Amino acid sequence: MTALLLGALGLFLSLVAPGLLAAARWPDRAPAPAVVLWQAITLAGVLCALGVVLAGPEELIRAADGNRRVASAALVAALAVAAVIVLRLLVSLGGVMWRSRARRARHRLLVDLLDRAEQRHGLDVEGLRVLDGAQPLAYCVAGRSPRVVLTGGALDVLNTTQIAAVVAHEQAHLRHRHELVRESFTAFYQAVPRPLRSRAPLDAVRLLLEMVADDAAARRSGGDAVRGALTLLSDDSAGAGRDRRLSRLADQQPRSVALSVIVLVGAVALLVLPTLVVVVPWLSVAVSNWPL
Amino acid sequence: MPLGDLEREVMTQLWGSAGPLSVRQVHEAIRGRDLAYTTVMTVLDRLAKKGVVNRERDGRAWLYAPVQTREQMTAGLMMDALEDTPDQDAALAHFVGRLSPEALAAAIEAARRQG
Repeated sequence: MTALLLGALGLFLSLVAPGLLAAARWPDRAPAPAVVLWQAITLAGVLCALGVVLAGPEELIRAADGNRRVASAALVAALAVAAVIVLRLLVSLGGVMWRSRARRARHRLLVDLLDRAEQRHGLDVEGLRVLDGAQPLAYCVAGRSPRVVLTGGALDVLNTTQIAAVVAHEQAHLRHRHELVRESFTAFYQAVPRPLRSRAPLDAVRLLLEMVADDAAARRSGGDAVRGALTLLSDDSAGAGRDRRLSRLADQQPRSVALSVIVLVGAVALLVLPTLVVVVPWLSVAVSNWPL
Repeated sequence: MPLGDLEREVMTQLWGSAGPLSVRQVHEAIRGRDLAYTTVMTVLDRLAKKGVVNRERDGRAWLYAPVQTREQMTAGLMMDALEDTPDQDAALAHFVGRLSPEALAAAIEAARRQG
């Protein structure tokens, strides 16, 4: 029963919930809690899979009243499969973080060499680098010694307030360590076997993190400056994500405190409730029949 | 002068030159900064180790030249910043959403034309 319940919940969390959440528009009004909810869904899905692997064999054998030797063999096999799942996730996370760090270190080295310091226009921003190039572009390079990169094209098209807004946006990414969130979702994506993996969480989280950074920039420089900068720095090819960011920035109250609280409570419940309701009762029975 | 600024200054000299430069030539070009010859030599050596300049022997002196032109390196950097597929671990957050391939090509073209 435990394994069936966890399996059903796991399937819901990995197949149904991401589609629903990715299609929803309410996360635009609580982007940071929505990121936490995405993390809770992903983590709870993994925990459900582990629960099925551990509880399934045990329950089958208990129901069939199998002998002790079969029970211990099944337990060892179940633990081994669970360990493989956890290891695969950890190896993927380690690999993504390692390669991302190396790539950012190389990027930082090159951007430092290419910096046109004389074009900074007196901007006093820690780690600011200016690149040649007419394409208006702004991004940040995370790490222990982070960089905020603007192209000459971006400095040309943006006014002073808009430049401040862009810089505040990038600094919010850096301050809140958004790269770690993205790396963890990328690692999860890569760890899932190819036929089962989905880009939906990755794309949704990326957009939500942009909204979080937009809000930080709007608090510093005003929503109009962020909107203006976003309009000037991107064209229509940037797609629906840009439109969502623009329309919520036009809102007087882009964020809802009540919604944020509900979403956060839901995220915590998602992790805690299955454990309390399903796993703990099973464990108390299973441990009393512990075959090893 | 901090080491980073010095590296940038040396690269600017190499990029601005028509051909490879010796340590002495680079030292003379940025002499106004009261730099020791050995400092310039160390910086060029570091840049070679980082793979951004090539080193070749000319008689008894080493000659240094950038591996890529400034425009090529800028274009490559922008590609790296914009490239964003989950199979490649991308994690450089940027302000705009993903640029279309046409916009990306325009960025590279723009980077090439400049400078």
